[in-house]
Amino acid sequence: MRATGEFLARLERSRCCAAIVSDEQLDLALASRTPIVFVLRGNGLALGPCIRRIHDAGKLAAVHLDLVNGVRADPRGVEWLAQLGADAIISSHGRLMPVIRNEGAVAILRLLLSRRTHLDTAFTAVSRAGPDIIEVLPGVILPSLATIMPDFGVPLLAGGFVRTEADAEDVLAAGAAGITTSAPNLWGMYAA
Amino acid sequence: MRPDAWSRPVLPRVLIADCGGDPIRLPPALRAGILLRDIDVGAVVRRAASSEGVMAIDLDSVRGMASDEEAAEFVMDTLGIGVVFTRRSHVAEHVARRGGLGLLHALAFDSTGLTRALDGSAAVAGRGTVVSPGAVLPHMRPSELEQLARPIVAYGLLTRVADALDCLELVECVVLRQDVADALADTARNSTLPVRNLLTTVAAEE
Repeated sequence: MRATGEFLARLERSRCCAAIVSDEQLDLALASRTPIVFVLRGNGLALGPCIRRIHDAGKLAAVHLDLVNGVRADPRGVEWLAQLGADAIISSHGRLMPVIRNEGAVAILRLLLSRRTHLDTAFTAVSRAGPDIIEVLPGVILPSLATIMPDFGVPLLAGGFVRTEADAEDVLAAGAAGITTSAPNLWGMYAA
Repeated sequence: MRPDAWSRPVLPRVLIADCGGDPIRLPPALRAGILLRDIDVGAVVRRAASSEGVMAIDLDSVRGMASDEEAAEFVMDTLGIGVVFTRRSHVAEHVARRGGLGLLHALAFDSTGLTRALDGSAAVAGRGTVVSPGAVLPHMRPSELEQLARPIVAYGLLTRVADALDCLELVECVVLRQDVADALADTARNSTLPVRNLLTTVAAEE
């Protein structure tokens, strides 16, 4: 709970967070005002130095368990990333949410939406998984889903195709607590 | 049911999703066809036998049917369905080589994932692209749209008429649920000429 509180407090400082897939982007993110760095690529077995650099820059590290290489999306993989110092762990696997929480990290459930039927089933899936936060993809369409999106009872992050200030403003106005984006021009923007 | 010889199907501007429930009503104001999805294989056969007009199928979502080349041949040759959505590029190319329209289904949750989904898909006549969720298409860069083989179908989470019209300005076809298609037809009947043109413009074949 304390971890989630700290995560959300950081998010309030700036609601647009860096999502990175390369070392070059890591350098840019560390130099930016983003409060949290979302690591979407890399060797999960060797992320220790990357996470240390993020922490040394005074930021939090969120690691995507399903997308980094070398680590399996199972309880031992969660344990590994937590030991490396990941402050938050993201996965599409609902069953791992309690495991992530038990490891003391923020549990972020990635919700991939391509069909309306996914929204119909998402509420039950989210209730069962019990994440701390949900990341909705593609986040840029969140405004058009406002009337049919269930209230999940936890904060929403929006990621995917959010590239411009206009996109970001629309997504935040639609109720997102924060944005994850690979667009450096947005990193560190929108203090709550 | 198979046509004697395939002439490459031309996509309608609108495909109405048929999940095997109440029969689909094709609004006269739309140039519409039917997309079979989330449906049992037996229902696919029954629907194919009884429906008129352009019919498409989302091969990966049919319960009881594989999503391989044999299944594609069955829906084309036995059922006469010439428009096939598939997540497998080799199946899309197989459909295209046999004279149908093979549409590679790309999931576009973010730009990185879209690039990966399309990686290695060869340009073949008769092969196009399905983008899910379709609602993301207006947010893509022109350079990203140019990477997609045409015709392009916007598929998924088009819950408002405005979203459908935005997509129709960019791509050849949209997949809609019956209620949204009916609302779009109402808009077409009651609105200005540009909207009607948007709905009746013949899509590019290739």
